[in-house]
Amino acid sequence: MNQAVQAELITHEHESHALPPVHLDQFEGPLDILLHLIRSQEMDVFDIPMALITTQYLGILEEQNELDLEVAGDYLVMASTLMQLKSRMLLPRPELDDEGNEIDPRAELAAQLIAYEQYRMLSEELNERPRLGRDLFLRPVFPESKEVARPLPEADLDGLLVAFRTVLKRVGGEVRHRIFTETMSVRERMATVLERLCKGGILLDELLADEPGREALVTTLLAILELWRQQAITVVQSENLGSITLLIKGDSNERG
Amino acid sequence: MSVGKAQALCSQIEALLLASDEPLSILRLRNLLGEEMPGSDIRTAISELEAHYHNRGIQIVQVAGGWQLRTAAEHAELIHQLWEIRPQKLSRSAMETLAIIAYRQPATRAEIEALRGVKVSSQMISTLQERGWIKVLGRKEVPGRPHLYGTGKQFLVDFGLDSLKDLPDSAQLMDEDEIQQMVMEKIEPHEEANETDTEKS
Repeated sequence: MNQAVQAELITHEHESHALPPVHLDQFEGPLDILLHLIRSQEMDVFDIPMALITTQYLGILEEQNELDLEVAGDYLVMASTLMQLKSRMLLPRPELDDEGNEIDPRAELAAQLIAYEQYRMLSEELNERPRLGRDLFLRPVFPESKEVARPLPEADLDGLLVAFRTVLKRVGGEVRHRIFTETMSVRERMATVLERLCKGGILLDELLADEPGREALVTTLLAILELWRQQAITVVQSENLGSITLLIKGDSNERG
Repeated sequence: MSVGKAQALCSQIEALLLASDEPLSILRLRNLLGEEMPGSDIRTAISELEAHYHNRGIQIVQVAGGWQLRTAAEHAELIHQLWEIRPQKLSRSAMETLAIIAYRQPATRAEIEALRGVKVSSQMISTLQERGWIKVLGRKEVPGRPHLYGTGKQFLVDFGLDSLKDLPDSAQLMDEDEIQQMVMEKIEPHEEANETDTEKS
């Protein structure tokens, strides 16, 4: 989709600067590509040759068979930034900083690249550190719960996540799904509830009292919620924590 | 403290460190060994153990405010063979996101995206969260009240850091203002721009 735009703006006279072909998968975004181009050709980040870099950058985008739409946006935004910088370099610079010096249009991009490069380097360094579970290992003694009583620790959400991860690891990450056939259908139950409500409003407690077992309770509750959502019934609670009354819609003058 | 007692203490701590699944702090060790045990004695015992395990296949490492007994890094491959495991590689994008959060915390997702120049997926955030490496510290009081992320304790444990101060090269990290200043100084004299200086950043 950007070919048409590029064709107008780019003349292919820079073919002599052919770079080895690269794929976007190798990169972590537009800044990564730019740094690659700058560093591999030993350019100065404080004096980026905008015309050349723009051509090379667009060249890389052009070479991709298809751009993944998820990431394409970020790459295309950078393409337009580069083209804008390129054209601004050709114009006189009216922008002045606080001290009246001219602002180089490339300053912001250079700052962005330097900031990103710092973190790119730090992330590599971090990744090279010996890491527990990858390079280093523990041999903790973990008594099985059958053999010891285990007082509950104070929990927070992060602790819970970490603990869950540990458990998953111990069971080998195997998750089994069992699919049960539905013995009671919500739809069926909706009909029953409506039928009952046609005889007049009823307290939620009363309605649920007749239900045998947990599955029936849940199904009935789901049926009530679904009916409520479809605005077939009204649910009234006159006071906090008070009893809840179910009424058929348009029947609100009648209380159960 | 008598030699015999000191030896007994060393051996107790050694057993605890082996059996524990998380680093044990001086405080925790005192709880376990009895409050009357002076912290200085525990420290001495740990130093002795550290010296004892120096250059051995297992080592006592100070992480996340405590001590932990771990296999030495140089045997990683042997252990991979033992368990027939291949360690999971983390994507570069996950590592970059983690590094930015570690060095800049608290950081919002938008700040990470601005620095990396690409979107940060929720998937990646939750992967890092599940590992216990990052956690939500709170919300930033700006429109949308985005989550502020920081590193969790497991980050220190897994990356072998005693505290965030031990993050490699954090002193050299330049903040936005410093970078801005550097760029403004260097970008003007086009011809004289010196490349070797930029390499250090």
